[in-house]
Amino acid sequence: MKLDRINIKTGIGIVSLILAFIVPVILGINQYLLTVLIITLVFIIYSSAWNLLALSGQASLGHAAFFGIGGYVSAIITNSLGLPPIVAIFVGGFFAAFIGILIGFTCIRMREWFLAMVTFGFAIIAHTITTELPWLTGGWDGIPAKRLISVTITNYIMYEYYIMLLIAVAVVVIIYQLTKSRMGLALEAIRENELEAKVMGINVTKYKLMAFAVSAFFTGIAGALEIHHFGYITPEVYGMDISFWPIIYSISGGLFTIGGPILGTIVITFIWEILRTFGLMYERFILIGVILILIVIFLPRGLVSIPEKIKRSHP
Amino acid sequence: MMNKKYGILFAVLVFSALIAGCVQPPEGEVKEIKIGIVAPLTGGASTTGTDMWQSAVLAAEEINARGGVNVSGVDMQITLVKGDTETSREGGVKAVTKLITEDKVDLLIGGFSSGITYADQVVASEHKVPFIITGASSPIITRRTDIDTSYFFHHCPTTDDYPEATLLFVNDVVKPMIYERFNFSADRPLRLGVLYQDSKYGEGVYEGIKKAIEKHNLGIEIVSAEKFKMSETDFRTALTVIKESKPDVVYPAAFLNEQTLIVAQGRKDVGLDTIYLSVECNDDPDYYTGVERWGEYSIQESRFSPYAIPSGPIHDAVGKFKEDFKNKWGTSPSMMGASTYEGVYVAAEAIKNAGTLDKEKVRASLAELAMPQIIEVMQNGVITFSPDYRESKFELYMEQLRWDETAGETRPEIVWPESIKETDFVLPDWYESGSS
Amino acid sequence: MDLSVLLQILVWGLYAGCIYILLAIGLNLIFGVMKVVNFAHGELLMLGAYAAFWIYTLSGINPYLIIALAMILLGIIGVFIERLCFRPIMGTGKLNEIFLSLGLIYLFQNLAALLWTTGSRSIHSPYSDVSVSIGSIRLPLDYIIIIVFTILFLIAFQLFMKRTTLGRAMRATSQNREAAALMGIHVERMDMLSFALGSALAAAAGSLWLISGQIANPYMGSIPAIKAFAVIIIGGLGSIPGAIVAGLTLGIAENVLPLFIQSFVGLFGVSMSFTAWKDTIAFFILIIVLVIRPTGIFGEKGE
Repeated sequence: MKLDRINIKTGIGIVSLILAFIVPVILGINQYLLTVLIITLVFIIYSSAWNLLALSGQASLGHAAFFGIGGYVSAIITNSLGLPPIVAIFVGGFFAAFIGILIGFTCIRMREWFLAMVTFGFAIIAHTITTELPWLTGGWDGIPAKRLISVTITNYIMYEYYIMLLIAVAVVVIIYQLTKSRMGLALEAIRENELEAKVMGINVTKYKLMAFAVSAFFTGIAGALEIHHFGYITPEVYGMDISFWPIIYSISGGLFTIGGPILGTIVITFIWEILRTFGLMYERFILIGVILILIVIFLPRGLVSIPEKIKRSHP
Repeated sequence: MMNKKYGILFAVLVFSALIAGCVQPPEGEVKEIKIGIVAPLTGGASTTGTDMWQSAVLAAEEINARGGVNVSGVDMQITLVKGDTETSREGGVKAVTKLITEDKVDLLIGGFSSGITYADQVVASEHKVPFIITGASSPIITRRTDIDTSYFFHHCPTTDDYPEATLLFVNDVVKPMIYERFNFSADRPLRLGVLYQDSKYGEGVYEGIKKAIEKHNLGIEIVSAEKFKMSETDFRTALTVIKESKPDVVYPAAFLNEQTLIVAQGRKDVGLDTIYLSVECNDDPDYYTGVERWGEYSIQESRFSPYAIPSGPIHDAVGKFKEDFKNKWGTSPSMMGASTYEGVYVAAEAIKNAGTLDKEKVRASLAELAMPQIIEVMQNGVITFSPDYRESKFELYMEQLRWDETAGETRPEIVWPESIKETDFVLPDWYESGSS
Repeated sequence: MDLSVLLQILVWGLYAGCIYILLAIGLNLIFGVMKVVNFAHGELLMLGAYAAFWIYTLSGINPYLIIALAMILLGIIGVFIERLCFRPIMGTGKLNEIFLSLGLIYLFQNLAALLWTTGSRSIHSPYSDVSVSIGSIRLPLDYIIIIVFTILFLIAFQLFMKRTTLGRAMRATSQNREAAALMGIHVERMDMLSFALGSALAAAAGSLWLISGQIANPYMGSIPAIKAFAVIIIGGLGSIPGAIVAGLTLGIAENVLPLFIQSFVGLFGVSMSFTAWKDTIAFFILIIVLVIRPTGIFGEKGE
């Protein structure tokens, strides 16, 4: 029985992956649709990265700091060193990871609320510093960023989509492997009870820092991918909404799970776009607020837990 | 575990793809001109965005009612398509991509907030779609070099233009009156205090102030320049520092909410009794309500005012626009609405002159355009885009706020330039100059 | 810089500090009793300010008299928030509290924007034209009243906590919830009461904010709330004297420090304005304090 279910899941996964890969083939090169999908993929990477940090019990309210740093570093080095964006995004990621470790050092001893405030503060500090360094970052004007694939190439948007898809799949698989590894188990133990984890001989500092570094790395890559898609970066990239979206996506999809951030990003984006067609604005945010509250209270494991809930109530 | 979520992920992906595929518009045989209006219809700047859309609709209906646009002998109607930027970069890129690739618009008008417009431009430039920008104030818009900007036409003043006009006025009118009253010698520079928003806009105005002083060799010295964070509400410390620098005139580069508080806190709490200047975006009914009596005698730079109408050739056109807008939408149009309204007329004229909807020819036609001013005063009375950076040049005017007993609020009256003014500038009795 | 300018700026800082203290004490109270941190506390300040605005606009009475009404109204709202939102998730982990607060922030801000637009609202204090001058320092009468009000609130609060049965019961609950429950204290009622009182104090802060000539809009709460968190973190969770000291310090520091930095870099020939760094400076202080002492300066051990 159990084996069957796993097989079904695997089947759905494989079929869906194939579908995702042939979307451009079925529907032709539809630039609008691919743009929407690309932005969704960026946020899938971003939310998954945020969720990994949350797995260690550390909820960041300022992940836009890493998103923006990744973007800026990647834009700056493509412009000054002439590196191709596909290489530069990893440099951006590494730099974000480096900053992540520094921030992690200040945070690891802190309790959840303190950590939330301090990370929130780091996004504000990153914003201030960026605008005060116009010679490097272009200040408020921002700087252009090379497109991931040059627009002179025919159907560049399709290649962009495939690159994003590959990176997203790779990131999700890596994060999946990490959570199944020693590190994932350690992080879970730390989240459940830090003191106990310590007694069990888990090096809490090391694993918490690792979570920070890996999460910041992937977040930096997501930020770099986004700005290389947009072709321009401005300090708006540090906005509060950019910090909060991955939280909303992860919680509604399912915290601490692999599928949660993915499902959450897609469902919320979908709801968001539909509400947009009705011309609602504040109502959309009110709905987001209500969804968050209801999910935290009634569905703490997010949307991915619905099937199991149904199963349990109808055995 | 993972795979199931993948399943849902891709099912939804495919579902949305199918929906998008179904709603693709039919390829047109209809003779129509499709114009995309890029504006923040939702999110932080939705009030402005809605206003831009409504003004554009008004213009398009007027043109269509007159039989549309004559394109090489065929009368074509204008169809407007909404492009909601959601006041975010992600929303802007999605909206502009949809307008260009799905709706297949012939031309774009709008664009509000420079940070968002920068990203929108990349898409428009890639597809070589002419874009008349009527709501972003950064001069970079048409000066950036990373993309081909030849398709962008900037039809609203930039952060370089506001301070240039404002300081010329201060130099011509305000300075002599202060110097006469306080017996200052002519070689004493006028002391200017600047309080600017820490943003693209605020910094742009501050840079513009410096450029204007240098360009016209004005006898004005910046004695203090303080920054504040966007949506700050407590300006007392910054104003105290500015007061200490003893300015003759204070120039805040702020948004409406901030400007209201700066003027009120400056006069009420800090006792900085000076002439406050103000950037055009604050010429809004809410400003006059919010600033109460504290705004009396302060200076408002403008190009389209809710209350004042410039005397001269466009006087009647402005009145008619305001009335039509009110009849159609029940509200008063704003400045961004006015330039977007003109933008539609500019587009119609350019397409008529080009005689085709071919984007390259429309671009060329826009570049050579010279048409009479409509509802905003233009330099030399003509809307034309400068050959270097494709910017139209507005004749910005200065208003002074006067107390209106019947309204119970202050009202702006145009005091500069000479050609369109309604009344003369007055230096109030309570005015205190800086040090000699 | 002139001493008189510095003193003048100290006055502005003192006022800012008062608002932070009122917010921080409410937060601290809720935390003490329930061990819950309400990140949406700034939205209670916002709702309090709107309550004051509407009562004032509809009745036209002296704005200082309506503070009490706004406080009662927000106290009731606070009880609802506690019962409907925080009660169900108590004990399910601290991350949930953070996320729930985030939902409340979205809900309240946009509900306010929907109901009352994003336009700014203000109240006209009858004393706004009056100010007392001491030397070259200006003290608007409203500021003096606000500072006096804050002191009165603090004294009343302290008396309530120390001298009344209810106050003692709340303190007992903060110290040891289980023991308090065993002693017959209705701890759930204490939760409600703490939320009501905390919300009422936020409403007082919001009303005073509005009366002092600042404006109300749906997003006004976020920055003061962040400052209030900084205050309780620096002052130590649960410590009332800590909150007072930290509140005043932060209010003054964020107004004065930018000028010191400006003068300092001026020595090196760099001309730069730091007044826009107010929030950034608050966070720098916060981070430095936390790195040195992860429990805050006056922090009590344990949760």
